[in-house]
Amino acid sequence: MIIVEASLIVVGSILSILAGVGLLRLDTTYARFHAAGKASPIAFLFIAFGVSLQTGTKGAALLFLAVVALIITLPLGMHLLFRAAHKANEHNYLETDELPRDNL
Amino acid sequence: MITMFAIIAFAFTSICSALRLWKGPTLADRVVALDVALISLMSAIAIYAGESGDTTYLNLLVVIAVIGFVATVAASRYIENEAGK
Repeated sequence: MIIVEASLIVVGSILSILAGVGLLRLDTTYARFHAAGKASPIAFLFIAFGVSLQTGTKGAALLFLAVVALIITLPLGMHLLFRAAHKANEHNYLETDELPRDNL
Repeated sequence: MITMFAIIAFAFTSICSALRLWKGPTLADRVVALDVALISLMSAIAIYAGESGDTTYLNLLVVIAVIGFVATVAASRYIENEAGK
């Protein structure tokens, strides 16, 4: 069981490192949002799985609540921030802007 | 050993997001950097709870997640209103 916990925590830590590197090294705003908004909640998901094997039932329940709150709220906030950044962006990289047509 | 590796990884992620917070060309980059720093703080709290067996601080995780969401929504509203002017 200790091997499963340790490997889940190591995978979560490596995903967290990848999120940090992507946030620092990618060169457009959209690419940075992509790196930060997808890798970091998955990293927390792996960490929570590993830690909930270590703690008892109470810790697993609290971690489950935290994971549900994060997985529901974080993509929603990232979507709003994407839309705001796209509207505020002066120099668009896209040839045709389909946001006014789709009105997301 | 595993805890040490995890704590070093979260410190590295926090340093990366602090650098992005310092340089970031737009305001949205800074908001995303704060969000990533908050998630690495959440992971560090979870690692501490697993190491010490003390589940008291795990109540903080839900609060931090909801506060981060509200902060992101407020900042995106602000950016959108500033762009619309």
